[in-house]
Formats: sequence, structure tokens, C-alpha cells
Amino acid sequence: MALFTAQNIQKRFGARVVLENISLSIEAGTVHGIMGPNGAGKTTCFHVLTGQHRPDAGRITFDGQDITGLPPHRIARLGISRSFQIMNLFDDTVVLENVLLALPAFRAIGRSPTRKVFGNAALTDRALEVLALVGLEDRAWDKAKALSYGDRRALEIAVALAAEPRILFLDEPTSGLGAEATRSLATLIGRLRSRYTIVMIEHDMRFLFDLADRISVIHWGQVIAEDTPAALQANKWVARSALGGTA
Amino acid sequence: MITLSDIPRRGGSPFTWPMGLFLAGLATAPLWLAPIGLYQYLGVEIAIWILFALGFNLLFGYIGLHSFGHGAYLGIGAYAFGLFQKNVDVSLWGGLGAAVLAATLAGALVGACLSHRRGIYFALMSIGFGQLFWFSAIKLRHITGGEDGLLGIPRPDLVIGGWRFDLNDNAAFYWFVAAITGLVTLVLWRLANAPFGRVLQAIRQNETRASFVGYDVWRYKWATFTLSAAVAGLAGGLFAMAQQSAYPDVMSLHQSGLIVMMVLVGGGLVSFWGPVLGVLLYFIARDVLGGLTETWLLWYGLMFVVMVMVRPEGVAGLLQGLRRRPDGRPAPLGKA
Amino acid sequence: MLALLPHIVNGLTLGLLFALIALGFMLIVGVMEVINLAHGSLFTLGAYLALSTIGADWFAGTGFGSWWLGLPVAARYVVALALGPLLAGAAGLLLELCLRPTYGKAPLYGLLLTFGAALVIEEVIRLVWGTGEQHLPIPAGIDGAFLLGGLIFSTYKFFAAGFSIVAILGVWLFLERTPYGAIIKAGAHDSEMVRALGYDLSKLRLLVFGFGAALAGLAGVIMAPIWGLRPHLGIDVVIPAFLIIVIGGVGSFWGAVIAAILVGLAVGVTGAYAPAWSLLSMYVLLVLVLGFRSRGLLGRKSALEN
Repeated sequence: MALFTAQNIQKRFGARVVLENISLSIEAGTVHGIMGPNGAGKTTCFHVLTGQHRPDAGRITFDGQDITGLPPHRIARLGISRSFQIMNLFDDTVVLENVLLALPAFRAIGRSPTRKVFGNAALTDRALEVLALVGLEDRAWDKAKALSYGDRRALEIAVALAAEPRILFLDEPTSGLGAEATRSLATLIGRLRSRYTIVMIEHDMRFLFDLADRISVIHWGQVIAEDTPAALQANKWVARSALGGTA
Repeated sequence: MITLSDIPRRGGSPFTWPMGLFLAGLATAPLWLAPIGLYQYLGVEIAIWILFALGFNLLFGYIGLHSFGHGAYLGIGAYAFGLFQKNVDVSLWGGLGAAVLAATLAGALVGACLSHRRGIYFALMSIGFGQLFWFSAIKLRHITGGEDGLLGIPRPDLVIGGWRFDLNDNAAFYWFVAAITGLVTLVLWRLANAPFGRVLQAIRQNETRASFVGYDVWRYKWATFTLSAAVAGLAGGLFAMAQQSAYPDVMSLHQSGLIVMMVLVGGGLVSFWGPVLGVLLYFIARDVLGGLTETWLLWYGLMFVVMVMVRPEGVAGLLQGLRRRPDGRPAPLGKA
Repeated sequence: MLALLPHIVNGLTLGLLFALIALGFMLIVGVMEVINLAHGSLFTLGAYLALSTIGADWFAGTGFGSWWLGLPVAARYVVALALGPLLAGAAGLLLELCLRPTYGKAPLYGLLLTFGAALVIEEVIRLVWGTGEQHLPIPAGIDGAFLLGGLIFSTYKFFAAGFSIVAILGVWLFLERTPYGAIIKAGAHDSEMVRALGYDLSKLRLLVFGFGAALAGLAGVIMAPIWGLRPHLGIDVVIPAFLIIVIGGVGSFWGAVIAAILVGLAVGVTGAYAPAWSLLSMYVLLVLVLGFRSRGLLGRKSALEN
């Protein structure tokens, strides 16, 4: 059975139908790509799947459990984690604490009035480990806003990873990155794929085709095709209509 | 600007040097207040407002909910204390308990209505509720005594074991207020510097991110609102004892605005101690400036305006700026 | 129902007056996303300045002063009606200059700065005009009262309500039918656009703030004969103004007008049955409306939510 499914998801904003009918099925241990032209509803789709918006119709399940309409914090606690296209960090907080706050073990003591924040070596070690994974361990005590754009992207991913997710949603992780940063991100995701199930929206076709096991193409709020990268590339119709001829 | 979040090394002990200075000041105030030309009662007033301001800053500075109606909970505490003495029993702890309980309930109720509001809408709604309480206090004449308020509220004796202290003696009353303020300050400091306080600051900086890493933002906001209302209620109970009366004026928008001004001028946005500095500055301005000129509020207002324009991080921000060395990075912790 | 009619008329009049009070506040919050807590103080300032104009406070001893005081009240009133708002507008310009460092920061800072400014203006008024209650004279033509359905209505209130309608329509026409209005509205939505069109955004803000402050002053002059003049009048003004904006929805012109009339009706009708609680009805209305529509009646999303 698939780890995460979305069945016939619909979302309207006023009179505008953004998601017409989205169905996705994501197998555990795979990298699933989502692509499509601008305005196709990809980010809205992520918002609905991770609880920021409630779908108007349809059903979302995770590990067999119906999670449709749960608030974001409940969904996050189940092990669904996400990064944002527009950076969403605790800007005035040091890098280490950005990660620390996302650790489930820290969340468990979040209401505690007596514990020390950095006093628990196991927690800080865990946070530093996550930072090491994305190559930010040397910047642990810098403020998030002091980081470069690429480093902030990496921190986004680190925060998402710190939540110890069972499935990771990445919204355009390469957006705004230079060629070199994109390459190191590809290496990172290559390393992560053995441990996590990953769903990723991406504009960079080569990046996506190299990493994804399966790709869903979204257009006009619907999934118009879903297949392996190789099969999709062969499909001339998809390439022309949805990819704008870039593939 | 250095912010509240910029205190990475904090461990578990609240006994830092500012805390020492604060407690020492609180403990010795009666000894030096008169010699420097001030009067005993001022100490009581300052201690009560410090209590109020520190509780308020949890909401204002830490979680970033800008309430402009917080005087209401101080007022509710004061009325509850007075009504308890008049209708139930002349009891110190009973009265203070009633004050905290009433303010907590009111805060929990209003907090439930406000906690999903954001930004300026929160501020607007908090004013709305504040005015509602203020107006009710004026109009429910048979309960609250209307514009005049409740008069002749007694100060019950403090009984500890076999000891009995008459709190009508202003010195004894000061020690009592100072002890409560000191104690609550320790608790609030601990709370602000524990994971709880860090989560509050994370929510202030980025609510969306906080909820996506699994924090129930609504519940934290509600809990903080209720907690700061409870502290305000305690301050209100003490205020009713101090004034031996409770009146609607403390619930007005004007008073609620003043506490915001004090907290901001002192630097509540950047430091735990900001509210303390703000309260001190306000009362010094009122009494020292007020002794020189009747227009002291004009000068205080002008100072506030200038401060918002050029130094919104307040006095505490100024001090931090002076104290901080260029490389103030703490040693990384947790590395074996 | 018929017995209620006079109260409804009374409420409608009151609603129009509330709309006049909220007009300048609405303009500033809609265009600049600044909650101008000094609105009430500018209102009061305008009224006091009109008082001094009519009474020739600062030049009574001069030859011009005695000539001026010889003129009929009506003539002096008309001049005061222009001069009060103009000077309040000038104070508004000054306030906008002070506000500049807060742009681009959280809306809280604008709120705080104008709160401080309100305090300062109020103290200045106390200093210049004293703390006592004062009375603004009005021309005989619009003074007096008449009976309607068993209730006494003051002629002046009707004059003021009519004046409000003119002012509301005037501002609306200005915003909708003139190129200036178009630019101001564009600035509310998209400051980049205004810059791209070659307009100076800071000048635009200055003018909008000045205009909003002048409207506050105008409302002050009109309302002074009804409410009387005291230094701390500001708070009684800014609270309804902003309740109205919140109920109507930030950024919506007609939302605010509708809200003002609703508030007027609520206060008027409650006043008929439970006079002591009439002002409370505003807050009840606020809590009710916002309980169901978090952005008010006709509000749209704005930066103020951040």
C-alpha cells in the first residue's frame, strides 16, 4: 500500500478553481517529482496536502490514516515535513536553534518551564548532526538571516529534516540557486533518498529527471500524466503541453 | 538590532547579574528611597507595575501579540480583590486568589476569541475587549461602584505561622509586594528562558513555520494570553490593596496604552529586563519631571515618539549596544 | 414600529456623523496601512483651532481683531470651518514626517508612534486652551431644535448629518473620479506601480496623511457644538472611528460608511431603551461582526495582518 495518497482533491478560492481533481499515490522509499507550468496549482497542492489549506473535496491519507483537514501541527506531528518555496525560517534565531525547535524531542519539552534550552547535549548533538547533513555545522551559532541565499535553502531542508519525517515535501528546492549550489543540493537529496520518502516540486527539469523515480505532471489543476522520467521524456505530448518544450 | 532571541547560552539558573541587581534593588528600596528625595509609597507602585509589565511582556515582546487592552485584567484583579473583601471574607490570600482567578478566567475567555487573530487585527480586537470591560466597570454601578469605584478596600493582615503583620503599615506592605514581585519575576524569567520561552519567540518570528514543525500555535498564544492576564490580575489585587480602592480608570485605553509605552521604551522587545527599565523610567519621569513641570507628560510623550522613530529597541537595546563586543559568539555547546 | 421611528432617524443621523468622524481615519489606514491613533487628537485640535479663530484668541487686542469680532458669527464660523481643518492638516503633515522611519517595519510601530503623538497633541491642547470644557458658537440659522414624533431633534444635528453626506460624497468623488484619487488608490495596492508611473511615493503619503488629518479636523469643527470641547475628547473619537473601520473592513470605503450607519443605529436604538448601555452596543456589534467575518463586512486582505 502507498505511504501517502491523495484522492480527487479539489480546492477553490472564491470562484477560482485552483485544484480541479488531483490524485497522487506515493510509495514509501521513492522520490516523487511534481512538475507543471506556472500557475498550474503545484504549490497550492502542497499547501492542501500538508494542511495549510483544507481541501473542498477529496481525501488524503498517510500510512492508511485519513488526515484530510487536520491542522498543520497535527499533520507535522505524524511525520510529514515540508520546506517552503518562499523561505520560512526563524530569522532572528541562530541556525542551531532553528533546527533544535523542529526536533520532535524538543517539541515534547516545549511546554516545559524548567528545562534548559541548550542544556540537553543529546538534543544539541542531534541538531548539529542534522546541520552536518546539509553542510551547515560551522554556521550553527549564526543568525538565520545572516546566511547566504543558498545556505538558507539548505537550512530550510535541515529544519524539515529535523522533524524526523517519514515523508518530506520540498517546494522548489533549487529555486534561486546557482549551478554549483544546485549540484550540491542534488548530491544532498541523493544521499537523503535512501532514508526518506521525498515529494518535490521542481522547475529544473534535469535536476528532477535525474532524481525522481516517478513524476506527476500537473496542469490546469489536474494530474495530466504520471510516469517514470524516461517514459515522460518519450511522451511528446506531455513534453510540449506541460513542459513548454523545455524538456 | 539584538533581539530577545539572541540569548543562546542561557542555562538553568536565573541568578544572573541583572537578576541580582534587580533583587538587590527591590530588597533595599526602603533604605534609600527617602534619602534620595522620593517617598515610600512610590516603591509599592513601582513594584506592582513591574509585576504587571513583566507579565505583559511575555505576551507583547515574547510571543509578539500586541495587546492594547491589558489594563482590563489589572482592573479585573483589583475589583475581584475588593469584592472578595466586601462580600466573602476579609482575607489576604483569598482576595489575591480571587484576583488571579478572575483575571485568569477573563483572560482565558478573551484569549480564546483572540488567539487566531493576527497583526493589527489582534491589536484592534484587544482594544475592543478592553473597552468592553472598562465600560462594564463604569456601568455596572451596583457591583463596581461606577466611576468612583470600590472604596475603602481593607488591607488584611498577613499571617505566616504564628506571625501577624499589619499591612496597613506602608513599610510592611512594601516588603510584601516586593516579595511577591521578586518571586514572580524569578518564575517568569525561568519560563522565558526555558524551551517554553523559545517556542514563544519562534512563534513571534514565524507562525507558519512553527505550526509546520508541529507546534500548536493557537494553544501557545492562548496559554500566554491567559498567563499574562493572570499576572496582571495578581498585580491588580496588590494595586487594590495599595490604593485601598478599585476604579475603572486603570482599565481605560489610556492606561493600557501606557503599559505598552513603558514596555517599549524600556526595551521589552529586546530584553527580559526591558519592562523593568521602562517602568522605572516612567515613574521617575512622572515624579521627577512632574515635580519640575506640569507638562511632564508632554515631554514623556515626545521622548516616546523620538524613541519609536530612532531607537525602537528601547533603553535595554541601548545598553546591549554598549555592552556587546564585536564578536560575542558563545562557545558551541553539546559537542562532546 | 412607529414608536421606533424617531430613534431610527436619530440613529441614522448619528451614523452619518460617525461616518464623518471615521473618514480621515479610513483614508489613512486604507492607503498607508497606518492606524492613526492621533486621529482623535487631530480632530480635537481642529475644533480648538476653530474655537480660537471664531473667538479671535490671539489677535483680539489688535485693530484687525476688533474688526473681526464685529463680523457676524456666521461669517467667522465659515472661516473657522476652513481654517481649523487646514491647520490640523498641517499638524498631520508634521506627523507624517515623524512616521517615516517606521515605514517598512511592523505596523505596530506606526500604531505606537501615533499613540505617542496623540498624547503629545492632547498635552499641547491642555497647555494652550486649558482643561475646562468649552463651547463652540454656531450661527443662529442652524441653531435651535424642533419636535418630531415626540422627540426633540436639534437642527444643528441635521445640518451636521447633511454636511457629512456632502463630505462623504466629496471624498468618494475625489477618490473615484479624479486622477489624484486613482493614484492614491493605486498606492494603496501597489506602491511599486506608483513609483513606476513616476510619482513620488513619499510626497503621496505626505499629502494623503495631511488630507486625512484635515478631514479629522473638519469632523472636529462640525462635531464640537454637539459634543463640546475638552482636551481628552480624542479618545471618544478615535475609538468609534476605528471600531467602524474594523467592522466595515480595512480598505473598504462603503464598508466603513455602512458600518458607521450600523453603529449609529445600534447606539441610537439602544439609547432609546437602555441609555446607560448605548455606547456598549458598538463593542457588541464589533464582536458580533468579527466573530463571523474576520476581515469585517467588506474587508480585503491587507499587510496589517502580518
